Formats: sequence, structure tokens, C-alpha cells
Amino acid sequence: MYWKPFICLCMLTCLLWATAAIAPAGEGGKLFIQKCGSCHQQGGKVKPVNPADKAEVVWQKYFKRDRHPVKLSTIGSDDELAHILEYLQQHAADSDFPEAAAIPRG
Amino acid sequence: MKSFAGLTILLILAIPAYAEESVTIPLAEYNAIIKRLDAMQGQLTELDSLRKRVEELERHGGLPASRQPEEHQAQVTRDINTLYNSVDDLETKQAKNMLNFGGELRTRVDGYRAESYTSSNMNTFQELVQEGVEPHQAREQSTTYYESTTDNNNWTNRFRINMDAQISESLSFHGRLSMYKNWSDSDDGSSGDMLNDWNASHWPGSSNLWVDRAYVDWTPAGLPIPIALTVGRHPSSDGPPLEFKENRLRQSTYPGLIIDGEADGIVLTFGLEKLIGWKNTGLRFAYGKGYHSDDDSIIGTTFPFLDDSETGDSDMFAGFFESEIPGIKNSMMVLSYVRARDLPFRLGESANNLLDIPNQNVGDLDIWGAHFQTRDFLDSGLDFFLSYGGNRSRPNGNAPGAIFGLLSDDGLEPHSGYSLYGGLRYTLPYAPLNRPKLGFEYNHGSKYWFSMTMGTAELFNKLATRGDVYDVYYIQQVDKHLFFRLGYMHADYSHTRSGCYLTSPQPSNASLSNYYLLMDVRF
Repeated sequence: MYWKPFICLCMLTCLLWATAAIAPAGEGGKLFIQKCGSCHQQGGKVKPVNPADKAEVVWQKYFKRDRHPVKLSTIGSDDELAHILEYLQQHAADSDFPEAAAIPRG
Repeated sequence: MKSFAGLTILLILAIPAYAEESVTIPLAEYNAIIKRLDAMQGQLTELDSLRKRVEELERHGGLPASRQPEEHQAQVTRDINTLYNSVDDLETKQAKNMLNFGGELRTRVDGYRAESYTSSNMNTFQELVQEGVEPHQAREQSTTYYESTTDNNNWTNRFRINMDAQISESLSFHGRLSMYKNWSDSDDGSSGDMLNDWNASHWPGSSNLWVDRAYVDWTPAGLPIPIALTVGRHPSSDGPPLEFKENRLRQSTYPGLIIDGEADGIVLTFGLEKLIGWKNTGLRFAYGKGYHSDDDSIIGTTFPFLDDSETGDSDMFAGFFESEIPGIKNSMMVLSYVRARDLPFRLGESANNLLDIPNQNVGDLDIWGAHFQTRDFLDSGLDFFLSYGGNRSRPNGNAPGAIFGLLSDDGLEPHSGYSLYGGLRYTLPYAPLNRPKLGFEYNHGSKYWFSMTMGTAELFNKLATRGDVYDVYYIQQVDKHLFFRLGYMHADYSHTRSGCYLTSPQPSNASLSNYYLLMDVRF
């Protein structure tokens, strides 16, 4: 029965590795709340927005078409924007983990 | 009748092969496709025009100010954003809605006349054995003879929800939920109300939802030989050639004479067309369960999911080779082999099992077959098929109740059986009636014939018949969604227990006539 703790330890290690692998999305999530959430919030300048509002491919097209009313370069650096887009796509409506309430709608 | 069917098939097979590459479809389907293509062409033109406008706007960052007043430019920008938002919503919805749905509804009325048939009563048999009567004599004494019985007003409804999803480039899903019932069938209810079918969906009762099919096809790319792995509850009913009579495309992997039922398993298919050079050539290996019983009927058991360790599982292994017949377009041949291991005898416990007959497996069965069919032969409107099936039992010596061995009483002697199944369907070239179809089928099964055809679309298991069956039908297509079928079937049984692998078949003079009309809607 001594092998049980060993198996648990292995599983925990795998879990940590997996968490490390998706760390950029965690970074993107923080940036999304910080950068996007400053305007997109209940009672804010514009209505709340969340990754699950659009499908992955739609987010991609949205930024490619430069449809954001405010120039993105005034919001963050290229790296920060890339992290935010990655986060939006990883938690889009058609993803495995759609995020619909990162910024509460009230 | 047998000579006529055989002669017809031989004459047809004698016509030279035909090998031009083309596709022939009914005019109604062709017109519908052309209409859809026209509509799609219009939509594409519109979309293309819109796309060009959007691209132009994107290139110029909106309409040139020199050409448009400022107010108009702002309006156009707003309109484009509105359009973009709508497209975003639609694309997001489309990305989320993977599952496509379709439906089928079939209502059918049947009339039956059964003559000179016998029926056994298992409880009487056991009571007689308990009283000391020898089992074979008890079987005879518990059998009742019927001169004739008619049933002229038998209505059924069958409803199916078909589903499919292209999950990814290499992964697709297919499913089917089904309901199939007699009108107002109330003999299986427990609500205490005689008319309990009137509230079957309105009163809380059961969580049952019958899943006819639910499987995924995985076709990994980049392999030297294309393969497909099919896992789940398979497309294993209404197989070739039953699609002729069902007036639809091929529905199953397996020939209908060998396997026609709902089967769970795994199938690995190798696409050999490029390797061999014959069109639609494939080799399949299948594994599935024919029977499984767990301990969930035992009150108080700790692990109800464990095998009941009585009969054990019945495993099935199968191999199929199929291809288009070289030189004959729209044709197909399938060679099949199935090994069904450890076929079960199970009478259950308590009230149904007065003699406490042990639940045990009775042996293995080999089933094999060769199937050939062609559609619209030589553009003549004639479809025809010929199917052969054979079986051989491998009893293990078990004979529960002293008479329930595998295709025998004692469970010692192996037996072989066979079946021949042939038929044709002709599409009448008469456009005002939407090209109706006339079909004729014949099958003959020998004394020991048995295969896995329990899931037949008919109310009786026609292809399991030990004897001769004649089947004629007329299909009237109304439009692409609706057709009617009028038919007559007659079965002359030579032996009893058709469709059952237990006990020794006894000589029979029974016959069954069935006439019916059905309406089928698919959408």
C-alpha cells in the first residue's frame, strides 16, 4: 500500500507542470481584468465584455480588422496585447473552458 | 417460386458488366440539388460583393472623405460595425452549435394472418418437469397448436432524431434517438391505469431514452494506409441490401443478412482502394459484446456493476472485406465472418425460473456470408442483390433444462445452417408519378439457420426465417421528404424457433401473411 502516496505525488507533479504550461493564459487573464476591465465594467465607460462573448476565430478577426474603437497601442504593449488575445481565445465561447464572468455583468 | 427467383437473378447476372464512371440520381433529387446550388450561387455572389466592399473600406479606412460628406461617412461606418457585430454573433453561434439534427417519422398499419402455428409456455413446461414429466415430453405437452389467428388493425409509430457533428477535421459524431411503439400500447405500464400510454410522457415514470446509435469516427491523417476507428453504439442495423426497401442510402456497415441490430463495439477500417486499385475497397475488423449481464438485479450487492459470473459475457469478433465489384458501377460486394463466443442461456431468477435452471453459456457460433448488390444496373432503373449466409454451432455440452443446448437439445452435436436472400427493385420511368418503385425479395433459411438479425425494421424477423419468405412492395415517392410503401409478405416456416439459437428446431407447417401500408417522412 506504500505506492499510493507515490502515485499521488506523481499526479501532483503533473498537475503543477500543467499549471505551468498554461501560465501565459493566467497572465493574460490578469492583464485582461486590469487593462480591459478599466473601461469594460458595470457602470463603466462601456459595457462589460468577456471571452465567452465571441468564438475563438471571431476574436482573432475582431482584432485583425482593428475594430476596437480605442487604439490598442494606448492600452498596452504588443506583448501584453498578445497575452490578452491568447486569454480571450483560450476561454472563448467555443473553447473547452468558456469564461463568461471574468468581468461581472452585475 | 424459388426457381423463378433463381432464374431471374441468374439472367440478370448474365448481362455483361458495365464500367463507365458516372453518377445517376433520381430526377427529383437532381432538381433539388440544382435549385440549392442556384440559391447558394446567389448567396455567394451577394457575399462576394459584400466582401469586396468591406475589403475596399478596410484598404481605404472607410470611404474617401473627398467623395462623401462627413455625415454620410459616419453613417456608413456605423452600418459596417452593425454588420460586423451581426456576423460576429452568427459566427459565434455557429461555432458553438456543433450538433446538427434531423428527424424521421414513420406510421404504419399492418394486417397479419398466422396459420398452423404452435406456441410454447415456459411456465407450463417447468411445472410438468417438476411433476416428473420427462423434458422432451414436457416440451410437447406445453406446446399449444393454433389453427389461425388474424390481426387486421395493428398501428405503429416510429420516431427518430438523427444527429451528427463534424467535431474536427479527423473526428465526427453520429447519433440517433428512437421511439418505436404500437399505438396506445398499454400492456407494459405500471401506473395502475389501463390507458397508461395516454400519459406516458405526461406522468413521471421512466428516464428511458432509447439510443439507437451513438458513435464517433476517428480518421487520423497522414498514415500510409488510411484508417478509420469507429467507437460506440454502431451503425449496425438496416444494412445492405435493406436500403432498397427502406428507400434510402446505405445505413449500416454490415450486410443485413448477417448482422441487423443495435451493437456496441469498436471497428477498425483500413482503406485499401489505393493499394489494390478497386474502388471503395476496405477491410474491417470489429469487436463487440453480444451479451453482458451484471449484478444490478441483486438487492443489497456491494458492487452492482460486476459481471454476474453466471453466463459470462458473449464477445463478438468479426472481419469484413468490401469493395465495388470491378467493372460494375454502383455495385458492392461484402465478404463477412463473425465469431460469437459464449452465447448465453438466461431464464433469470425467482418466479420465471421454477426449476432453478442454471444461467450459463451454451457455446460459440460462426457466421459467414457473401453479399453482392448493384444499383441502377446499366442505367436500366433495376437494382438487384444476392446474399448468402452460413452458420455453424460449436456447442460446449451445456444444455440447461435438458433441452436448451445450442441449436440442439443436448448441447453436444454441432449443426450447420444457411440462408439465401435475393431480390430486385425496379424504378418505373414514369415522371408524373415521381418514378415509383416496385420490389420483390425472397429468402430461404435452412433448419439450423441463425444470424444476428434481431434489430429488423419489420415487426417479425424475416431474415431469420427457417423456411421461405416472399416479399413484394410498391414505393410511391411524393416528394423528397415523403413516401408511402404498400407491401405484402408471406412466410412458410419449415421449422420452429426461427431467430433463436436455443434447443433443437422442430418441423413446422406454420405460415404468416402480412400486408401493410406505411407513411415515412424524413427531414
